[in-house]
Amino acid sequence: MKRLVFSSLFSVIALTASAQTADVKTDTIAVSGNCSMCKKRIEDAAYSKGVKRADWNDETKKLVVVYRPSKTNLTAIQQHIAAAGHDAGPVAAKEADYKKLPDCCQYKSNSCNH
Amino acid sequence: MTTYTWALLWGGLLSCAAASAQDTTRTTKQIEEVTIRNRVKSTEINLLGAIKTEKIGARELLKAACCNLSESFETTPSVDVAFTDAVSGYKQIQMLGLTGAYTYFTRENIPDIRGLASITGLSYTPGTWIEGMQLSKGTGSVVNGFESVAGQINVEWKKPFEDKEPTALVNLYQSTQARTEANLVFRNQFSGNLSTNLLLHGRSNWARIDQNNDGFMDQPLDKQFVGANRWFWHNDKGLEIQGGIKGVYTTNTGGQLNYNRDVPQVTGNPWGYQSDVQRLEGWAKIGKVFARNPGSSMGLQLAGTYHNQESQFGARRYEGRQQSFYANLIYQTLLGTTDHVLKAGASLQHDQYDETLSGNPYGRTESVPGVFTEYSYNGNDKWNVVAGLRADYHNLYGAFVTPRLHVRYTPWEKASLRASVGRAQRTANIFAENMGFMASNRSFVIDRPETGMAYGLKPEVAWNTGLNFTQKFRLNYRDGSFSTDYYYTDFQNQIVVDIEDPTQVRFYNLDGRSFAHSLQAQFDYELIRNLDLRLAYRWYDVRTTYDGVEKERPLVAAHRAFANVGYETRNHWKLDYTVQLIGPKRIPATYSHHGGGTEGESYSPAFVQMSAQISKSWKNDDVEVYLGGENLTNYMQHPMILGSEHPFSTGFDASLIWGPAMGRNLYAGLRWKIQ
Repeated sequence: MKRLVFSSLFSVIALTASAQTADVKTDTIAVSGNCSMCKKRIEDAAYSKGVKRADWNDETKKLVVVYRPSKTNLTAIQQHIAAAGHDAGPVAAKEADYKKLPDCCQYKSNSCNH
Repeated sequence: MTTYTWALLWGGLLSCAAASAQDTTRTTKQIEEVTIRNRVKSTEINLLGAIKTEKIGARELLKAACCNLSESFETTPSVDVAFTDAVSGYKQIQMLGLTGAYTYFTRENIPDIRGLASITGLSYTPGTWIEGMQLSKGTGSVVNGFESVAGQINVEWKKPFEDKEPTALVNLYQSTQARTEANLVFRNQFSGNLSTNLLLHGRSNWARIDQNNDGFMDQPLDKQFVGANRWFWHNDKGLEIQGGIKGVYTTNTGGQLNYNRDVPQVTGNPWGYQSDVQRLEGWAKIGKVFARNPGSSMGLQLAGTYHNQESQFGARRYEGRQQSFYANLIYQTLLGTTDHVLKAGASLQHDQYDETLSGNPYGRTESVPGVFTEYSYNGNDKWNVVAGLRADYHNLYGAFVTPRLHVRYTPWEKASLRASVGRAQRTANIFAENMGFMASNRSFVIDRPETGMAYGLKPEVAWNTGLNFTQKFRLNYRDGSFSTDYYYTDFQNQIVVDIEDPTQVRFYNLDGRSFAHSLQAQFDYELIRNLDLRLAYRWYDVRTTYDGVEKERPLVAAHRAFANVGYETRNHWKLDYTVQLIGPKRIPATYSHHGGGTEGESYSPAFVQMSAQISKSWKNDDVEVYLGGENLTNYMQHPMILGSEHPFSTGFDASLIWGPAMGRNLYAGLRWKIQ
């Protein structure tokens, strides 16, 4: 039973992995933010349809995003992030969205240390 | 440098963590830990460091909402948890197939529940207080002492100077098994230099519950209060002082359903269990970093413990008192470069025990001064070495030497291969560690005691050898890891706990072989974003020579398989499900209640355990409500208490526990952070 679970798991992963290698793009964009709390929000926002992986580094303020160009594009991803209150590449967050951020994540004026 | 950084730096330096190979870079490492909080896995195995350490984070602890240390390993495959007996409600852990007493518990690297509290003490650390734990198998670092046989579990409490912690944390818990619990953690930072924690815990089991209808309460009625207060202070010249006190008060009443406290224990009356514990601990750490001499520091750890227990199991009375003092002085310096780190120091462990079992007094004083040194090589990315040596003088058993060696090698990217070997020595507290057997009519017998030794028995000496391999990977853009380890513990002497005769529990020095093989494989993978899967399997082969015959250690499951799935939604729902298969355990011969004599040994059936939890949080996780269930299949051991109809007659035995002693439990609770 256990072996079956393992092997079927691996084959599913292998299949999905091989199916998509042709249609994958990786980009790095600057995203404003402060801390781990911001990180979660930024990455949650970046994970929209067609996004395979999003990693935001709170020191470099860079987001590495892996996505499928057939399903989404960089601007769409940036708009999702901006809608969550964080400036993403050329797309700036609306003031109203920015104001919704918790105090410590209001990166234009504050900083947070967690 | 910010005060926060200083505090962390100090926390790290003073703690002299088991994995010491990276201590040279502690300063930068600590700072990194502040800023880099990636999506931290709830349990993480690090690739660096010579000692493999499973970091069990707060998120993992929340998966088992209840309630104390013994219950916080439910989702950790490395640790088995089982009831000690059917009346006291205590659970004990098992690591590498060896009972909890062989695991060295520390609180922020000060020895915690040694000695008489090795079973009961697990319930004295409420889960809500814990920030995280580090679990390492094998003998560990000599800096922490010579006792750890199977491994070390270090528990970190929530820190008063960490800004991420709320001003107050409130946790309330209620179960359908009539357990009510409240926890409070306060912190206050008076200035940049001074901060304090006040931690409170209260718990009560307030109903007589008998889910298996054997006439016995499944868990005792109890009240438990634990309180602690601790202080941190540092100046800007590298001096830090911290200290704290902790008090525990418990009172338990269990046994047959109609038992009331202090009813005489004679045939015809209800059989009763009662136990009262008072415990007081105090500790201090003083540390100094030498700014002029980078990498050099000095730390002094001091701790004192008073433990008093009075218990009654039917007609059997047990009283135990322990007074302990511990001091450990550690000096750390770099040898030329940060590639080479040397630690050296001296320690003293002083214990006074006064126990009485069924009217027979057992007293002893153990005093063990020792010196140690540990060298760490951290010179290149491929290799780490930690080599330690200590020499101690035991007032009863004389001088002994404890060598330990840990090596890490990186064969290829994202992989780590580690090996360890080390010696451990400890004095068995035969009564406290085997309290479960007091819940029976077995007589306690010490074979051929010699004078001038603890209980007339020699110290336990074991060599532990381990090999482990961890491979991290990224597959389909999601992270995962595969980890496997093998440990072999070989006892040169062990205090054999022999329950092969159903009317006795006998203790004697090992004559023959005693060993434990442990093999574990664990696979962790994030299947899709925020959906974590953990699969694990472990195998034990634990054997001891009983009266010249090598037999499988009773009540140890050779096989255990484990699966855990956790999912977190974007709108802050968390779901967690664990299923385990626990294999058969050997049950020694039992007393025949049909005509006397004995019935041959047998094996318990394999069984499945399931637990699940769902939680929802609001306001940036400041308010969280959780709902969960344990033992969802309501599987219980049957029969549980042998001879339960005649508890004052031969053959009554509530200590042969291989399965769940409690049925299905549903619970709900609240966590509220006040910023």
